[in-house]
Amino acid sequence: MMNTIPRIGQLYSLQVVKHLVILIAMLLATIVHGQNSPLTIISNPKGCPTEMKESELKSIFLGERQRWRTGDKIQVALMKTNTSIGKNTCGRMYNMTEDELKKYWLALVFQGKAEAPAFFNTVGELQNFVSENPGAIGIIDQSPTVSGIQVVSIDGKQTL
Amino acid sequence: MINPHLILAQKTEIKGFIDVRTWYDKEKEKLSFGLGEQDLFITSTLSDRFSFLGETVFKYDASSTTKFSVSIERIVLKYNVGGNHNILLGKHHTPLNYWNDTYHHGRLFFPTIDRPLLFSSEIIPIHTTGIDFQGHDLGSLRFGYDLMFGNGLASDDVVDNDAHKSITAAVHIKPANNLRIGASFYNDIISAGSTVHGEVHPHQVDQHQYSASIAYFGKKFELLTEGALVTNKTDSTGTKQTISTYIYGGYKLNEKLTLYFRLDQQQFEEGEVYFHPDDATLLLLGSRCQINYLTVVKLEYQYKEDQPGGEDSPARFQNLITAQVAIGF
Repeated sequence: MMNTIPRIGQLYSLQVVKHLVILIAMLLATIVHGQNSPLTIISNPKGCPTEMKESELKSIFLGERQRWRTGDKIQVALMKTNTSIGKNTCGRMYNMTEDELKKYWLALVFQGKAEAPAFFNTVGELQNFVSENPGAIGIIDQSPTVSGIQVVSIDGKQTL
Repeated sequence: MINPHLILAQKTEIKGFIDVRTWYDKEKEKLSFGLGEQDLFITSTLSDRFSFLGETVFKYDASSTTKFSVSIERIVLKYNVGGNHNILLGKHHTPLNYWNDTYHHGRLFFPTIDRPLLFSSEIIPIHTTGIDFQGHDLGSLRFGYDLMFGNGLASDDVVDNDAHKSITAAVHIKPANNLRIGASFYNDIISAGSTVHGEVHPHQVDQHQYSASIAYFGKKFELLTEGALVTNKTDSTGTKQTISTYIYGGYKLNEKLTLYFRLDQQQFEEGEVYFHPDDATLLLLGSRCQINYLTVVKLEYQYKEDQPGGEDSPARFQNLITAQVAIGF
């Protein structure tokens, strides 16, 4: 008996460790996927063109343009910087850390030069905002699942 | 009944900024603690084209019975004409070059603890109440402009003291990311008998300011330099020149920590009657730690040498070590 109890204990521990490893791997995969997955630019069909250059896109997301050529006001929609898409957006769109991005926008608003973007917790909320607001443009990491949204191609590509 | 669409259309945000500091004055051999300004900042989107910005500062004021006073620093009603062209009405920070148009009162954003001498010596007209025609990020060079007409110096926030209007014209380009090059011009006529900065000026002063700036805030290096040439002309003293410049350089050791220096110099021509002549050189060496986007800690050594009474007066020296915590909330 004295010999079997530790064996059962060892087996049990092994199972727990296995599950933990799988869980951590899944978590890491989700994070890595979120941070490196292709980004899709979506917009409300009113105002935003269906295609544009990457330089033009960056200028819009930096708050350098107030209106589309149609005259509609540009409204930038971003995922919060603590989400995996938000982190991905900071690095790939802005080449900034999360704190740098938040300070960049705070400074711009404080100078009276731009209106702050709308930040969202979920892709669903962001899509709803874009579909409901003419001139809105946002970044997600999947094809849109809400009607009233168009995908904006950047330099001829559907994703960034 | 309140129309719910009107509530949705008006998006109002309130932010605040404050700083606290401690400093050691070597000449006076004492350590002090002090409060900075508490800055209340409000923005509101009123409609598709109208927006509002307000900045109110609560600060120490020895002349007040409560030892604190409230001042309206900015009230700006902005109307977007089209594209990136706007008309701004109200009390503004005069868009003269970089610092005055960028940092305002939020110490959180300052690269150093305090403003350069160019601003703290009251050479630059910090505020103007009037109308500004503004454009930004136009074309491939991201050209920007401001053309402002205001009440001018010696006026208060509600009425002009004379018929003269101040004129500010400023242009800038942003030819590369994080780089901004600008130039500006300011003209005002201060009427005889006007009170400016607490002093009565018996003669009319015709003031011209010419200034230029280069700002680069990159991932590793930071550079900000501005210079202003000011001429004040009166019938009795003729034209007197004042030159004030500063250069700031920063090196980011990592994402959080930046080492920096700033060198300020200002020189007043003999016989200057409008400014308080105070030839000065100031050197700062410091470090800035960005704890997060709403908290910054700065530690600075400052050496200042000046002659507050003009060229013939004895020189004054100041050695300060200052630590400041600035936050946004």
